[in-house]
Amino acid sequence: MLRIIGKTNIDFIGKRKVAFVFSGVLMVVGLFAFVLLLLGKGNLGIDFAGGVMVRGSFENPVSVSDLRGKISSGGFTDAYIIELKGSDAPPNSFLIRTKVQVAEGELLGDKLLSAMRVGLPDNEFTLDSIDDIGPAVGETLQKQARWAILLSLLGILIYIWIRFEFRFGVVATVATFHDVLTVLGIFLILNKEISLLVISALLTLAGYSLTDTVVLYDRIRENRKLFRKKGGDFASTINTSINDVLSRTLITSLTTLSVVMVLLILGGEVLHDFALALIMGVIIGTYSSVFVASPIIVEWERRSPKRLK
Amino acid sequence: MRKSDAWRIILILSLCLISLYILYPTFKFYSMDIEERQALQADDPSSYIPLEKKALKLGLDLQGGMHIVLEVDKSNLTADEARDAPERALEIIRNRIDQWGVTEPLIQKQGEDRIVVELPGLEDPERARELIGSTALLEFRLLPDPEVTHRTVLVIDSVLAQIERGKGLKLTMEEEVAPSDTLIPAVKLFAEEDDLGFPLDEEETSRPFTMLLDPRQTSYAVLVEDVPLISRYLSLAEVKEIIPPGTEFTFSTRTYEIANRKFRDLFHIRKRTELSGKYLTDARPGFDQWQKPVVNFTLTKEGGRIFAALTGANIKKPLAIVLDSRVESAPTIQSKIRDRGQITMGGSATFDNARDLAVVLRAGALPAPVKVIQNSVVGATLGKDSINKGRTSVMVGALLVIFFMLIYYRLSGLVADLALFLNLFFLLASMAALNATLTMPGIAGIILIVGISVDANVLIFERIREELRTGKTVRASIEAGYKRALLTIVDSHVTIMITALFLFIFGTGPIKGFAVSLSLGTAISLFTAYVITKTIFDIRKGYKTLSI
Repeated sequence: MLRIIGKTNIDFIGKRKVAFVFSGVLMVVGLFAFVLLLLGKGNLGIDFAGGVMVRGSFENPVSVSDLRGKISSGGFTDAYIIELKGSDAPPNSFLIRTKVQVAEGELLGDKLLSAMRVGLPDNEFTLDSIDDIGPAVGETLQKQARWAILLSLLGILIYIWIRFEFRFGVVATVATFHDVLTVLGIFLILNKEISLLVISALLTLAGYSLTDTVVLYDRIRENRKLFRKKGGDFASTINTSINDVLSRTLITSLTTLSVVMVLLILGGEVLHDFALALIMGVIIGTYSSVFVASPIIVEWERRSPKRLK
Repeated sequence: MRKSDAWRIILILSLCLISLYILYPTFKFYSMDIEERQALQADDPSSYIPLEKKALKLGLDLQGGMHIVLEVDKSNLTADEARDAPERALEIIRNRIDQWGVTEPLIQKQGEDRIVVELPGLEDPERARELIGSTALLEFRLLPDPEVTHRTVLVIDSVLAQIERGKGLKLTMEEEVAPSDTLIPAVKLFAEEDDLGFPLDEEETSRPFTMLLDPRQTSYAVLVEDVPLISRYLSLAEVKEIIPPGTEFTFSTRTYEIANRKFRDLFHIRKRTELSGKYLTDARPGFDQWQKPVVNFTLTKEGGRIFAALTGANIKKPLAIVLDSRVESAPTIQSKIRDRGQITMGGSATFDNARDLAVVLRAGALPAPVKVIQNSVVGATLGKDSINKGRTSVMVGALLVIFFMLIYYRLSGLVADLALFLNLFFLLASMAALNATLTMPGIAGIILIVGISVDANVLIFERIREELRTGKTVRASIEAGYKRALLTIVDSHVTIMITALFLFIFGTGPIKGFAVSLSLGTAISLFTAYVITKTIFDIRKGYKTLSI
């Protein structure tokens, strides 16, 4: 039998102080990012903020800085420009993205393209794709995303509360929020755009990261019955439970991690940030089920014991 | 083998057969390349259409196409007109697209006054946007007397010169669009041909307006670069005051090129509409005697009466054909016209232009102008590129997981791999059966399903290993492993499905595709990873050892 790890007996609960500080800081950043998001502020993607994303290739080589200069003299001063390299992209391929600066209600695509034509008159640009989104559409998408976020979190909450006793429910909720907020916080720190796809990744994460916590809680419930007979204390019950499910947690995290890694590497520009959010989420979800969810239960039990059946 | 086992096997096998049946058209359709598909479509449409319908649909991001969102501008409508304006606009747009002949367009209302149009596999998005977004309000209007027009532009000259001198106002817009030195040659280019030419010896500052104009038969040719400046001059309050009441200046719809310079025409026309497009019964593209593209139209009886009166009274005078407040052309009326007329196309119009105009005229004018508020176009090459990336990602991801399971859990891993394969197989089949659309985020969802699917098996197998370690028999360990893991597996699947559900409800386009593949795949995983693997374990009765 091949095993990644044998029987372990690591004292996870003992390391809770460090984990609490680490998670606390990340959650505050994440909470800040979340409030920004709900207010429609922050570094929003063009689908939420309105703006234009153009992909295409020039006939002749042009440098990113040169292109930036031409585009900004056409009025687009903060365009995001990258050259797309790789076997699939034709030579001199670029991705140019710029957000709406003033809500003038006009689409920017034609303006951006003509700025490029005027700036580089002898270098023909072949358009591969354009995504030109007016601020009005962005507002609608924001509203829809807000509902999707609130209702799915509420849905998960209700499910947890039906399935688990009160304390576990609360802690599972905290752990779920922790995972989503932490990734959001890291995105804020990295100054990554929050697009519709990133939001979808975060929501998927909320559902996915709960799995680790659920697996652990099921095991805690089971072990509690055994331990009560033997007279073991609560913290060691939890520690044993974590160690019991550790190999499962690591294996599933690794398999999921490997597929989303593949997505990050091979999935192309469109899915890049989506995959990045999922990768961070899988890692943080695994960490939180061990280092956040369980220690909170232990702390709670220590401060007001005997509530657990 | 127990009786219930037999039933489960029959169920699983028949599901496989059904899926195979559902997916057959998809395999067949996508194994053909584009030329083969086009050939089949042309030769044998009766076998092509059902094949295309039954094949798994690809989203616009994968097959290429155009997605545009229009907003109906109801600001100039009465409350009564505004009520059904979006519906009427939608019908007219549908009509235009149907006549244009795009396969499988999607046209639907979104919210209060938005219309979403999706055109897969489109080749000329620019033209499509024009066709869909133009109001197509056709009007026939007369022109004021040429003398009046000539006097008016000269007065505009003096007014502008006065403003410039008197107030020291800077009239030019920005430096870049200011009239450049290239103007004089442009004017000289035609100077000899015209009888209404402006005196060229005057100082330029005294005629800031006419120096931009080159008089033609019924209009003034202007350089395209000067159009913004001229528009600005014409919108000045002082200038508006002296434009004769009931008339206006307006540009031509199209541009044309002479000696490598692009021109547009400026017309002085009356505001009164003599006849509008609502009297049209038909419009067809054609050519006139000089082989220039035209649109031949037919009018209703009443329209014919009005037109006959109008043309009869104005023979040898120009008649402006105005489309959405811009002049298409202003041909001279040669004789009295009743119910059959011809729209001369202006500028350097092509036959395609005439065909498009005929389409919009036949479908009728929109009840209100529409504004494009989203315009997304994906080229077919980029779509194909995305499909390749998605396919590679799914295959590499799945292979990684399959090898890992095989190495780590040996024969049991093989069982889980089979479940994973069936999961993806059933997922594609159910998507095809539900007429769902596969998008790039949808492919990402499938990749996630690869991870989620084995997750359940890992949970079960780890449990079985634990049970084996406590010294239970193989059979008892399997039973206990499956039984104990069940609730946990259900829990983890349900939470993912909850989020997928709300993403499906609130998501649009590609995101919906993600929600579809994620939720279907998760639900199927419950069946494949739990029921199917359990059935396989149950087929063999007397286990001595278990390869896990």
